[in-house]
Parts: sequence; structure tokens; C-alpha cells
Amino acid sequence: MNQVKVLGEFYFSRLLGTSIYDKSGRNIGKIRDMAVRWEGTYPKIVGIKYAKKTQQLIPIDQIESCSYKEVRLKETFAIEKTTALHENDIYISRWLLDKQIIDLKGSKLVRVNDITLSWVVQENIERMVLVAVDIGIRGLFRRLGLEFLVSSWQNNLLSLQYIKPLESWNSYLQLNRERQQVSELHPADIADLLEEMDYKTRAGFIEKLNDQQAVDALIEMDLDSQVEIIEQMDEQRASDLLEEMPPDEAADILVEMTAEKSEGLLNLMEVDDAEEVRELMQYEEGTAGALMTTEYIAFSEDLTPEEVINQLRELAPEAETIYYLYVVDEAEHLQGVLSLRELIVASPKATLRQLMHTKLRKVHPEEDHKRVAEIINKYGLLAVPVVDEQGIILGIVTVDDIIDILIPERGKLDTYSWFALSKWGGR
Amino acid sequence: MMKDMRIRLSLFLAVMGPGVVTAFADNDAGGIATYAAAGATYGYDLLFTLLISTVCLAIAQEISARTGAVTGRGLSDLIRESFGVKWTFFAMIVLLIANIGTTASEFSGIATSFEMFGIHKLIAVPIMAFVVWWSVLKGNYSKIEKVFFVLCATFLSYIISGTIVNPPWEEVLLASVTPTFHSDADFLMMAIGLIGTTITPWGQFYVQAAVVDKGITAKDYKYTFWDVMLGAFFTWLIAFFVVVATAATLNANHIEIETVKDAAVALEPLAGKYASMLFSFGLLGASMLAAFILPLSSAYAVCESFGFESGVSKKPKEAPVFFGVYTVIILLGAAIALWPGISLTAVMLASQVVNGVLLPPILIFMVLIASNESIMGKYKNSRWYNIVSWAFTIVLIILTLMLLVATVAPDFMNSFMKLIGL
Repeated sequence: MNQVKVLGEFYFSRLLGTSIYDKSGRNIGKIRDMAVRWEGTYPKIVGIKYAKKTQQLIPIDQIESCSYKEVRLKETFAIEKTTALHENDIYISRWLLDKQIIDLKGSKLVRVNDITLSWVVQENIERMVLVAVDIGIRGLFRRLGLEFLVSSWQNNLLSLQYIKPLESWNSYLQLNRERQQVSELHPADIADLLEEMDYKTRAGFIEKLNDQQAVDALIEMDLDSQVEIIEQMDEQRASDLLEEMPPDEAADILVEMTAEKSEGLLNLMEVDDAEEVRELMQYEEGTAGALMTTEYIAFSEDLTPEEVINQLRELAPEAETIYYLYVVDEAEHLQGVLSLRELIVASPKATLRQLMHTKLRKVHPEEDHKRVAEIINKYGLLAVPVVDEQGIILGIVTVDDIIDILIPERGKLDTYSWFALSKWGGR
Repeated sequence: MMKDMRIRLSLFLAVMGPGVVTAFADNDAGGIATYAAAGATYGYDLLFTLLISTVCLAIAQEISARTGAVTGRGLSDLIRESFGVKWTFFAMIVLLIANIGTTASEFSGIATSFEMFGIHKLIAVPIMAFVVWWSVLKGNYSKIEKVFFVLCATFLSYIISGTIVNPPWEEVLLASVTPTFHSDADFLMMAIGLIGTTITPWGQFYVQAAVVDKGITAKDYKYTFWDVMLGAFFTWLIAFFVVVATAATLNANHIEIETVKDAAVALEPLAGKYASMLFSFGLLGASMLAAFILPLSSAYAVCESFGFESGVSKKPKEAPVFFGVYTVIILLGAAIALWPGISLTAVMLASQVVNGVLLPPILIFMVLIASNESIMGKYKNSRWYNIVSWAFTIVLIILTLMLLVATVAPDFMNSFMKLIGL
């Protein structure tokens, strides 16, 4: 027998302020708030806060009848029959109603206009559970007492399994489950969410992401937001994330900060990573040097395709692109290039020296990004190598980097303005 | 030591902005009109009120900026979370009425400045309203905005003009620190208007949003504090010299100010026959700047509190409420300015009074939030601060009530004043 009988369904906002009477008809107080325990599939209400200055709760199984007009208790009220607020319980009016939450389904921030409750009997146990949050306009009108104006509209309810509270109320919340839910979001969606959050919430949220998720999300953001987030972060974590980022992105972010701050972060990074970033930071904004990444793949000219393919398996995860393989001599002078396709179809016993194209387009680090774009466009390249005066390869500029700089995102317009208020809002 | 100074200075410049920008936008068309009318009608009598309202402006802006830095949230967001839907709805209605009024006054300012060049308002207002609306819709208003910001700087010429006329400085300084009070409705209205134009509901929402938007945190707040103080000082400086210049030129010669255009006369000592041109450039700049900011910040506030999609980067289909609110405010504002037979000057002055009357509710929300420890933590208002804020709010409410009484029953007011010996 696992039958569930529904005794009633309620909107939390309409229950608030309802008078409570006990068996003898005495007015005990009003529904001031309800405490909820976040466990199982549906968070369950543990009790009703009935007066302003008390932390005692009337347990749900004490309720004889419940409507928006009045609540009647089964017995005569006595303070001994109430229970105390448990440390893992939270008040929903205080912590959920009117607050922002993450809608995991739509992957955006929404505001809780109302909460729906269900009062059920299962195996002779009465319980009241939170079923969904109302994030729609109809919920707003209900709060204003004007629901009749929009009674033909649909409620916009979001089931609790699809929401994630922005602030963790307490440690009791199942962090692991949340983390998994969030990790199912696309990094670009996480980036949008982060940009909308206020800085405190954001800090809490980033803490829950692992480094890889945080870096993926950061890369999806525009520069201003990246700088803001890194600056507000704890220095140790910030330096960890900067290490994980492609060095060109990290350099772009650090250049925007004060010398003191960026130096502090660089000193916390691993020496190798920091060195690479430092080099990139020397180049002026908008030049090939500032745009390039040092994560390219280069091989010695004496290697055979077979050896190269073996090495590629190890190098590929780090590199920004593997479609172009650059060939260099012992002193890192750029000699030629071949494509991944050419490598794969080549005879395994040839050497790269025989296979490579020696006529290749390259740019100098101080060249303007427009010039780089022209070359990439004209020759239909995916990336162009950057070399110094001696012909030593310094890095590559990929077509993605160029597109980022040529097509300003519409979203960035907000921050370009002196006066516009972006997002807040959230948003 | 030197390096230390440099770092501090660069940090200050990096976070500088919200306070100073709000200050400049504060001295908009309605502001200049009100200061000019105050100087022309009451001479130096209102300088004391101006000083007090500037101190209060500094306090109000400081509270908003601090709240923004500590919480990282906008004012309407916090009102919603702390007071629920009904109070938020009330606050938004208040804000929207005040902002529609102010937008109307901006369009009146635009109309006035064009009229000085002989262009009729029926042509100027619809075109400029469309320019504002369209450039935000297309997302390319940031450049246009800067042009108008530069135009605003022409109001700084009042400082020079006010110095050239060489007013009786002793009298001016004395008047600045001596409380002067008349009990007639006109004076009360002017006093409330003066307060309403310096401290505006939208200014509070705007400065907090701008602080949040710049990503200023509690840690950097000390720099923002000075930015806000500097902003309040600039507001006062320009207002002070507009009052002094108009008092010395118009009031001293018993010229009543009939339209805002007359305020240009006060620039004649500096610019001679180019005075009205200089004035209309300044007026156009300030009015256009505020005409961009007001509808936008209203739309942000409404969407933020009710959880609708917002942002100029969105398309109208994605954020219908945002663009709806924004469009309606521009339309209503322009429509009021174009209403047949309405006096542009009256619109400007009246909207400042509306702002003054609607300010107390917003102040109450602000102070309640800023003194809430669970929101502000150790950055909450100090007791001394709260006393000043409440005192100011109560004075403003009393002034508003007096204005109501003085408008409805002037005789009663007069005898009441005699009774208490004023």
C-alpha cells in the first residue's frame, strides 16, 4: 500500500497570514512562515511558525484542516506540542520567496514569485511538501491580490528538481548533487549565469565549480567580466585558474589589472606558466603578439610522420589547434608547415623536411590585428605563425582569436558605455 | 611612498565615476530651471536650503553607493528581497511616476533649447525622442551619450559668470549659512523643488546600479566614497553659481523669470550676446543625457525587481517588458512636453516638485535596507547616520505636507504660521 492521497494544494503566498485556531477555537496566531527540511525528492515542511518572536513550530501532523481562510488544529494548543527549529531547517519565506534562483532547465536566473505546496497522506502519515516555485507573471499578480485579472493565464511553475538556490542555506544541502546538476550546463550558460550574479553569490558559486569548469566558463566571457571576476576572487584560486587558462587569455586579463595586482597573481602561479604569460603581456594591445597563443605544436624536421603522430597524442590536449603542425630546426627557427591531413596520408617513413611546405605566411609580433586578419582571410588559414626578427617562432594567432576581436559581442556594448547599466538584473 | 601614492591615485581613478556622473546628470534641465527660478525669485534666500540639501544628497548617495558596493545588488532587487512584492510594486509605481515626470522635463528642456534656435517643439521633440529610442534599441548610444556629456560641461560657465558679476560676497556667504524661511506655498514649492532636483529617486537607483555595474566591492568602497563626495560637491558648485548668477542679474534688477530661456540672461556677463547659445547647448546636453539615462534606469529597476529579462544587449523579443517600459516612458515623457498649451517651464518645475514629494518613500526603503545588519553586515549605517537620515526624511515629509496644506488652504497656513511665531 503506497497510495498517496492529496488533502490539498496551496500557494504559499496565500497561506501567509492565515489565522490558526486550535480545537477549542482559540486563536493561536497566524502563519508567519514555514520551516522546510531539504531532503528526499521533495523538501518537506516540518512546521509552521505561528508568532513573530518564537522559534517554536507547530508540526504539520497537528493540522486538522487547512484553507486560505483558517487553519484548525487537531488538539488544544500547548507549547509542549510544538517543536523547536532544527539547525538544518530553513524558513521558506525568508530564504526562498522573492529570492533569485537558478533555473537549470532554462539555465538563467529567475525570481521566486510564489511557492506551491502539497498536503498529502501517505501510509497514514500526513506531510506537506514543496512542489514547485512559481516564476510567472500570474504569481506576481497573485501576490498583489490581483490574480483575477490574469486568471486565464498559465502559471509558470518550475519543479523543484530544476532549481538550484543561489545561496546555500546550510551545509545540509546536497552539494554533490548540485555540483553535478550545474556541471551538466554548457560553459557558455554558466558564463551567462555568473555575469548576472552579484559578486558575493558569484564567489560562492565559483567555489563550487572545479577548476576546469571555472576556466571553461571564464573563457566564454568578455574581457571586462573576466577581469572583474578574477579581481574579486581569492588570490590563490585566481592564480590556479590563470594557470589553467590559455596563456594568451590569461595575459589579456592580467594586462587590464594594476601592476601590483597582476604581479601578485603572477608570483603565485607556477614559474613556467607565469613566464609564458609575462612574455605575452609585453605586447601592445591589438598586435599579433598580444593576440597569439604560445600553445602551438612544433616538431623537428628530422622526425617521421609515425613519430609525430605518437607525440601528437600527448601534446594535443594542451595545444590550441592541431590542424597545423609547424616544423622548426634546433634553434626554433620556423622552417615550414604541414597540415594534419598531409601528415596522416604521408608515407610513414618520410621525414618532415621532405613533406613540409616551406612557403608559408607569417607575421611579426608588432603587426596590427587588422593585417593579421587580412592574411588569415586572404589565404584561408586557420592560424598564422608569429615569428621574431631571426625567424624564431613565438606563437600562433588562430582564426578564433581574430574573430573575437573583429566582431565585438553585442553584450559588450553595455560595459562600453559610461552610463549604461548592464545586466544586473541582473541583471 | 611615491609609488604608494600613485597606486592610490590610479585606484581612485579606476573606481571613480558613478558619483560624479550622477552629479552631472543631476543638474539636468529641470535642475537648472529650478536653480534659476530660485535665484531670480528669492535672491540668495534659498542658498541655505541648497547647502542643506547638498549635505543630504551626499548622505543619500553615500548610502546607495555603499549598499551597492557591499551587496553587489541594485536597490529594486533589495527592496524586493526585503519587503516583498507589494512594497516593491509601490516603490516601482513611485519611481515610474517620478521618472515619467522627469523625462517630460528633459524633453521640455530639449524643446526649449531648440526653440532658442527657432525650431518648433513639434519638430524637435519627436525627432530627439526617436533618436534616443532608436539608438538604445540599436545599442549604439554610448558614443552619442558622450557627446552630450561634453555639452553638459558648458554649465560650468555659470561658475565663471557668477564670479564675473561680482555679487556682494559677504551677503551671499551669510545667506548660505543662515536659515531663511517663508511660509507661502510658492516658497515651499520652490524649496521642495530644490531638494527634489538635487536628490532624486532615480538618482538613488542609478548610483547604486552604476556602482554594482562597475564591479566595485566593499574592499574598494573607500575610493567610491570620495567619488560620491566629489559628485555632491560638483552638484552644489554648479547649483550655487546658477543661483548666485541669476540672483545678481535677474533678482537684483527685479526681473521675474518667466521661461527657462531667461536663465540665459545670467550668462551674459560672460558670453555677451552668445549667452543664450551657450545656455541652450548646455541645456540640450544635460537634457539629452538624462533622457537616455532615465527611461533606461527605470526599465532596469522594474525588470530587476520583478524578474523579467533585461539588458540593452537583448532583442526586444527576448526582453519585452524591458523595452516596453523603456518605450512607454519615452512616449509619455515626450507627449507631456508636447501637450497643447502646456508651459515647458511649468513642466520642468512641476516635475522637480513631484520628485521631491515622492522622494521620502524611497529614502525610507534605502535607510531601512542600509541599517539591516543581515544585509549590510559590518557596513551597516551607524546610529548617528541613521538619526541624520531619519531627521532629513521626516523634514522632507513635513515640508511636503506643508506644501499640500499651503496649496489647498493658504489662509490656514498663514494663520498657523503666525500662531507658531514664524
